[in-house]
Amino acid sequence: MRLPRLRTYVPKPTDPKIFWINSERTDMVQEVVRRIMERYEADESAELIVNDAAYHELRRLEPRTDDGARRGLDYWRGVIRRVGRMSSEGKHETLREITLRMALDVAGNFDPRVYRFAARVVPSLLTGVMKPSKLVQTVLSRGANLDDLVRAEGPIEKIRRLQEKGTLVLVPTHSSNLDSLAIAWVLYREGLAPAVYGAGKNLFTNPIISFFMHNLGAYRVDRRIKAQIYKDVLKTYSSILIERGYHSLFFPGGTRSRSGAVERHLKLGLAGTGVEAFARNQARGIQRPVYFVPATINYALVLEAETLIDDHLKESGRARYIIEDDEFSRLERWIAFFNRLQNLETACVIRFAEPIDPFCNPVDDEGHSLTPDGRRIDPASYVTWRGSRAVDHARDAAYTRDLGHAIAERYVSETVIMPTQLVAHVIFRRLVRATPGLDLFSRLRYRGEIAIPMDELLPELGETRDALVALEQRGQVHVNAPLRKATPDRFFERALAAWDGYHQRPVARRTGGALIMEDPNLILFYQNRVRDFAVEIAGANPADRIAARDILAMGGAR
Amino acid sequence: MSMAIGIVGAGGFGRALALAAARNGRQVVLWSRQPREFKAQQIRITTAVGDLADTELIFMAVPSPHVESVARELGRFLDGSHLIVHVSRGLVGPDLFTLSELLRRVTPVRRVGGLAGPLVAAGLADGQPGGGIVGTLFPEVSNAVREAIGGPRLRIYGTDDVVGVELASAFVGMVGVALGYAKAAGYGPATLAVLATRAMAEAVRLGERRGAQERTFAGLAGMGDLIAAVSEDGRPELALGRALFEGANVTEAATKTGAYVEGVAIAKQVVEYAERHGIETPIATAMTQLIRGGVDPTTIVTRLMARPARRE
Repeated sequence: MRLPRLRTYVPKPTDPKIFWINSERTDMVQEVVRRIMERYEADESAELIVNDAAYHELRRLEPRTDDGARRGLDYWRGVIRRVGRMSSEGKHETLREITLRMALDVAGNFDPRVYRFAARVVPSLLTGVMKPSKLVQTVLSRGANLDDLVRAEGPIEKIRRLQEKGTLVLVPTHSSNLDSLAIAWVLYREGLAPAVYGAGKNLFTNPIISFFMHNLGAYRVDRRIKAQIYKDVLKTYSSILIERGYHSLFFPGGTRSRSGAVERHLKLGLAGTGVEAFARNQARGIQRPVYFVPATINYALVLEAETLIDDHLKESGRARYIIEDDEFSRLERWIAFFNRLQNLETACVIRFAEPIDPFCNPVDDEGHSLTPDGRRIDPASYVTWRGSRAVDHARDAAYTRDLGHAIAERYVSETVIMPTQLVAHVIFRRLVRATPGLDLFSRLRYRGEIAIPMDELLPELGETRDALVALEQRGQVHVNAPLRKATPDRFFERALAAWDGYHQRPVARRTGGALIMEDPNLILFYQNRVRDFAVEIAGANPADRIAARDILAMGGAR
Repeated sequence: MSMAIGIVGAGGFGRALALAAARNGRQVVLWSRQPREFKAQQIRITTAVGDLADTELIFMAVPSPHVESVARELGRFLDGSHLIVHVSRGLVGPDLFTLSELLRRVTPVRRVGGLAGPLVAAGLADGQPGGGIVGTLFPEVSNAVREAIGGPRLRIYGTDDVVGVELASAFVGMVGVALGYAKAAGYGPATLAVLATRAMAEAVRLGERRGAQERTFAGLAGMGDLIAAVSEDGRPELALGRALFEGANVTEAATKTGAYVEGVAIAKQVVEYAERHGIETPIATAMTQLIRGGVDPTTIVTRLMARPARRE
């Protein structure tokens, strides 16, 4: 849905690039169509790709009974019947029609009025929900209180400078549907430019969220559409946005981390178009740099934790790729969630990593790529082969894979460990210690059976925290400030209180002088964020060391 | 005119690569730490690593402990348009970093790869029919290697399973030492076959952990290379294994062999890594005991054979 407009908004030179998206929209859609027609110029490839689209669309629409689906089915059945008999022009005309329709569905819209409204009201509302008692006060003070709850860390000043020199591709970890709200708010608060964002179409099902998404530059990504041509349209559109200098935001993990762990294998998907966009610009003599900015989004409580971990633990083949009925869509869960957050010093930390160029080189404050010995280097050399600069899909795919590894590495070292995660890890290590040789699923059946004496647990929490802080000093991870400073009993109490008020199933409970582990699944979910460091923080106890190795091994291949 | 080929390291393998490239009509710039003579047209010897800046493809043919320092120095003269391919069987550090990962880390070059397979210096220099495999994500890297040294008598295959190629090659280097030792101890073909095959199974377990593909270990970089080792292709690993059996300690054995053998260091790294990740590597463990010395071969074999046999 769009707001009616009497006069076209003419962007001012000081406006962020995204304000231009409406005036460039038609042109960009046309460019998508042109590039795709060029790719499938040969008759056979045009027929093949049209057939592929029809096949996948029929499969997707056949189970549905609504009117839209019926119209779609008629259309695609017609295409399949006719395409074999079509002339060359007919095939290309059909391809053009399909591409244009898909490109129009994908392309985003940006309404400056909605942006200004959201910027003013959303933080106040969010704060209001988080701290209802302060609603009046926060609306008056324009929601400044969110600062404490959602913290931003990292080289923000540098990123602010780089956004003037090139195109930013923000690539954060993904653990909750709140991620896009949290990061959008932080970008605004820290004086960073708004970014275009490829949002899953399921986010557009809620009319209010859909309205904001659609009018704030998000473009629609429908993961249920499996047709190759659709993927081509998305990638082409995304590449064009980056080529033209639109800062972009992607969650390269694809979907929310089901296990709670930081994503380890990134295919990058759409984010990879940053490499292609850079190469395309270079091939045309345009020198605009592209900077990738990895970031981690770290929550003390994850809104959808219960659904996500349950889904993760299902047989892998049966896990759902798109979840539509989770906590994110249930109001009472939101309220419980935000109520809990009130008691936490920090609910969410967004930590930005040092920006890198598309070839994993660090960049200096002026935006120049640097070699390991600190020389400035021209990133164009990476897309140069025997003297000429060109786009090469195989080569760019290889750079993209490298980049995926580099971003995943930074995810680990830029993770900020929260109290709930550390407490969960120590409890989980006890579970593993108590169940030697068992597989994960047998261990997770130990519901309410593992009791840890408090006088053992608290010192163990302290030692593990100290080991984690030592790891932080070596630059391998970050520890949330309150966790770094608090006494073990204090951060233990906070973690327990956070869980208690929010999760519907009790996570752990105290009886007498012991802690009983109640929900191994949720314990697993929160501890998974610490998993990669298990061995380093295990301390001297041999039983702990064996358990830590087991925990690390659960992560699979690195 | 095609650009010159750069080669870092004028040891046996580096010199053989230089000859192979010269035979293909390419100019070669060969870097050597010490000034050397090389009687071949088209091959220019240099001690200034910066002279390699004008090349396109650079082979890194120095032993793995020296790769980091040499590559750091070399990297100061390179940019993103260069390609580096290493030929080492080594791995770096307790996390089993491969050399292509190291090259990416210490130089600005991203288009890197590893050359592996049953290639030995003598065969490469003489132009005997043979083949090798390049592990790289970048098609232009395997193409450039093919142009540089491939031809009617040398087939160069390519794969994007870089880690698989490098791990397989490292493992074969280690097993080579074990094979030399076992042969000297008088064990017959059946024993050697079991040793080689089961060692490869360990390599696969480790490789999968690092994200490698199993089939790479069955190809030229793994089994292909191993068959060449078993059939005594004159590689230094077997000589070192033999020397160990004859009672030499590692340093003496290495001096006697006259080449740096990566396999010795790898056994220790592999065992450490495997322990940390809960992977069984009985043959690598036996190798470390054998290298450390003080255990007789019968005891080692008995220990290995006493393990329960399960599904293959």
